[in-house]
Amino acid sequence: MPENFLEVKDIFKAYGSGDSKQEVLKGTDFTVTKGEFCVLLGPSGSGKSTLLNIIGGIDNADSGYISIDGEKLEDMNEKALTNYRRKHLGYVFQLYNLIPNLNVKENIEVGAYLSDNPLEIDDLLNTLGLYEHRYKLPNQLSGGQQQRTSIGRAIVKNPNILLCDEPTGALDYNTSKEILGLIENVNQRYGNTIIMVTHNEAISHMADHTIKLRDGVVRKNIINENKISAAELDW
Amino acid sequence: MKSPLKKRVPRELLAEWKKYFALFAIMTVTIGFVSGMLVANNSMEKSCNDGFEKYNIEDSHFILKEEASDKLIDAIEDEGVTVYKQYYKQVKERQIDKPKAEKSEVRVFKLRDKINKSSLLKGEYPSTKDEIVIDRMHADNVGIKIGDTIKVDGAKMRVTGFIALPDYSALYEDNSEIVFNAISFDVALVTNAGFNNLKGATVYEYAFDYDETPIDKADKKEKSDDFVERLYKLSATGGDEDNPDFENMNEVTGYLPEYLNQGIHFAIDDFGNDKALGETLLIVLIAVISFIFAITESNTIVKEASVIGTLRASGYTKGELLRHYMSMPIIVTLLAAIVGNALGYTFFKNSVVDMYYNSYSLATYETLWNSDAFIKTTVYPVLIVLIINSLVISSKLQFSPLKFLRRDLTKTKRSKAIRLPRWKFFKRFRLRILMQNISGYFTLFLGICFVMILLNFAVGLPATLDNYKSHAKEYMLSDYQYVLKNTLDKNGDDITTDESSAEKYSSRVLLTIDGPHVDEEITAYGFNKNSKYIDLTYNVKSNEVWVSEGYAKKFSLNKGDTITLKENYTNDTYDFVVKDIYNQPGIMAIFMPNNHFNKTFDYENDHFTGFLSNNKLDDIDEDYILSIITGDDILKMVNQLDHSMGSYMDYFGYACIVLAVLLMLLLTKIIIEKNTVSISMLKVLGYFSAEINSLYIRLTTIVVVISALIATYVSDLALQQLWRHVLNRLNGWFEFYVEWKDYGRMVIMVIIAYLVVLVLDMRRIRRIPMTEALKSVE
Repeated sequence: MPENFLEVKDIFKAYGSGDSKQEVLKGTDFTVTKGEFCVLLGPSGSGKSTLLNIIGGIDNADSGYISIDGEKLEDMNEKALTNYRRKHLGYVFQLYNLIPNLNVKENIEVGAYLSDNPLEIDDLLNTLGLYEHRYKLPNQLSGGQQQRTSIGRAIVKNPNILLCDEPTGALDYNTSKEILGLIENVNQRYGNTIIMVTHNEAISHMADHTIKLRDGVVRKNIINENKISAAELDW
Repeated sequence: MKSPLKKRVPRELLAEWKKYFALFAIMTVTIGFVSGMLVANNSMEKSCNDGFEKYNIEDSHFILKEEASDKLIDAIEDEGVTVYKQYYKQVKERQIDKPKAEKSEVRVFKLRDKINKSSLLKGEYPSTKDEIVIDRMHADNVGIKIGDTIKVDGAKMRVTGFIALPDYSALYEDNSEIVFNAISFDVALVTNAGFNNLKGATVYEYAFDYDETPIDKADKKEKSDDFVERLYKLSATGGDEDNPDFENMNEVTGYLPEYLNQGIHFAIDDFGNDKALGETLLIVLIAVISFIFAITESNTIVKEASVIGTLRASGYTKGELLRHYMSMPIIVTLLAAIVGNALGYTFFKNSVVDMYYNSYSLATYETLWNSDAFIKTTVYPVLIVLIINSLVISSKLQFSPLKFLRRDLTKTKRSKAIRLPRWKFFKRFRLRILMQNISGYFTLFLGICFVMILLNFAVGLPATLDNYKSHAKEYMLSDYQYVLKNTLDKNGDDITTDESSAEKYSSRVLLTIDGPHVDEEITAYGFNKNSKYIDLTYNVKSNEVWVSEGYAKKFSLNKGDTITLKENYTNDTYDFVVKDIYNQPGIMAIFMPNNHFNKTFDYENDHFTGFLSNNKLDDIDEDYILSIITGDDILKMVNQLDHSMGSYMDYFGYACIVLAVLLMLLLTKIIIEKNTVSISMLKVLGYFSAEINSLYIRLTTIVVVISALIATYVSDLALQQLWRHVLNRLNGWFEFYVEWKDYGRMVIMVIIAYLVVLVLDMRRIRRIPMTEALKSVE
């Protein structure tokens, strides 16, 4: 039986108050094992991004808890949370969020700085296909190149968990597949646990584990026995 | 239909009220102060100019050694002038109940009813020989009140009122002094009986008006030059050049045309100069604020790029968007102008008036509506904000709708970013932040320069005065400089002294004819061979002179230059070649050996003017002494400057620190706002606050410290120029002197202001939520 690495227990989260109060997560429960590629799937408004932010320690749950490798996030103060993100997490966003005044290599160095034992940056640039673009600023790159840089920044510190929030949401079909292939490759090569938020059901076919959310509740929790590679995906 | 975008304006104002309020406050106070200054200055200037007619201000005055005979007066009046007696006695003034009070000299005139008429500000004119009215400014300075009894030339007199005399609006005892002296010098009016009752010697001063009023300053000068030459000749011949009348012969000992009379013009000129300075300060500050607005709006445009792209794609024109983004700076500027002008006409005007009344003896004035003040403090600021912002914002809006939609607002399409040296990552990161925010940091630098110029004045003026005070005695040729009325005693023998340190010298007052200050008095000194007090060699060519360091600095003279000076009362000129600069920074003088002096000015070989001595000369009869100049006389000037301005400088310094805090706070806020998403992202990635502060705050700190150091140099250059400009319209010279420790103080004051900003900025960075980075995702 594989060990539970991430435990999401009975998470409630609401925004606003009174009449305008909107419950986003209504008792979400699931677990993820170490090294697993997990997809949080759901339509817009299902609470998947909110859940990802709570897992990432940049938002708080109203009740319930998140436990990573036995440590509960709710027990952590701000400094411990920062340390948690610093040591264990990598983040990939839909719109990349690169630092605009740093070039590709420097953006990856932003991640490398946080690790005592970062990956070799030039090797990573080659792996990401960015070596020849390493001195370009983000606004001189295509969307796919920016997302690859963003992935590079996230994985350079070799995090335990890679959180990806709609990483292909702003990309075309081919580039999306290329990026998914890259994430798959990272998962296989470095063994990071990957939690990816998406509304694209096709992507769930490449995952080990799919959690379907709707209206803040887990509707389906599927372990994928017959996953396919990113290259085989089609939508 | 009105543009719906207008609805955003009040919301934007509310959302960013702290920033806009700070900008509004700075502009309101500046506009208010300048508006108040312009209103006060114009009103008082008008009052002073009207005074020429109202108080019948003289066209000139002259002083004769003896009372002029009727024949001489008739001859002088034949030159096209009307002469009025304006005799005075200059005597000691003491406060009976304040033995420790400043000792003063008072110049007592008879009540005036024809020329240079007085303005009674409080109380009533004297009606008996024991009553006196004195200058209001002097009374304020030394604490004399109406009803007080003072001792004037030993006689007790009751002060019945305070006056202002139009020819002593600035209390200059001697027109050649750098600064007036309303502390130890006073003017007063008494009845004829009161005047006759005073024992002091009468000075035979005559004021006159031209029968044909000169049309302009050039005409005044031409008439004056012609007149003084005739006056000199007529006096020397007793009023009859063809048949000199030896009985009525006289000697001109003083002549001062109205246009050179600082007592009449200093205050009026000061109003003009202060106006120019205030207007310049306003323009510079509004320009700095305009850039702050422009950077703010540019950042907003970048932030709202996709919205702008959508609006442009939907059919909104560039002009409509330009007007929208311009509306905020214009509204804030207009509001500041309205409130500033309202404060200017009330609070600030009174403050400025108080400041002038604390320096000058001015008659009453009436506040006048001033369209010039309104235009300069409303139209000019709005125009500056309009021009700078329309240039910056329209350049920012020039991109195509597609580029806005893609958030691609870079003008230059470099294929690669600028390569940086292989420094540590944080160092390179900081440099990138600097490069990205260069316009913000440059405006920060300009703001610091602006504040530093004001600070330099606030710190430098007291430092300059202190320096002058501590060196005043060194600026004297000797501790005592005696000027004799006549070098022969009543027996016809040379006046001598047994004091071993005493040494004879010669001097003559000449005037400059060109350079930065025409008609500046330059004293030509003749010195003895092996002089104890003037340490110069006797072997020079006949036309070679040493010039004092003060003269050389003010007129930018160098070794080998030729200078031309003219006689005080005639048009005779002398050419001299500068042999070298003599280390005397506090006086305006040239030096030559006595034999050259006598030859140049056609004196006998044994001619002399008085004595230089380091000890008091007790063996010379007071009747023979015209004046004794000591270090205390030099200090009068500094004390007056200290009194007029020194007390304000501390407050001014504090105001500068507040201004520095506000400007730096605004600019760093803009820089942090521009980097909010990046900072938020760094937090998401796991950067600690200390690391983020080390990137953003440390960079700003480095910029502030470097800017403060450079700004110290810039402010020094600016102040030196400004000081030169001010001194060029005055007699004399002393340097604007700021010590290293004062520069250090200025830098520390800016850094203290920055520490306040730093704490607030750290708080601001700490409060940036991590969700900021996620907002851009949505």
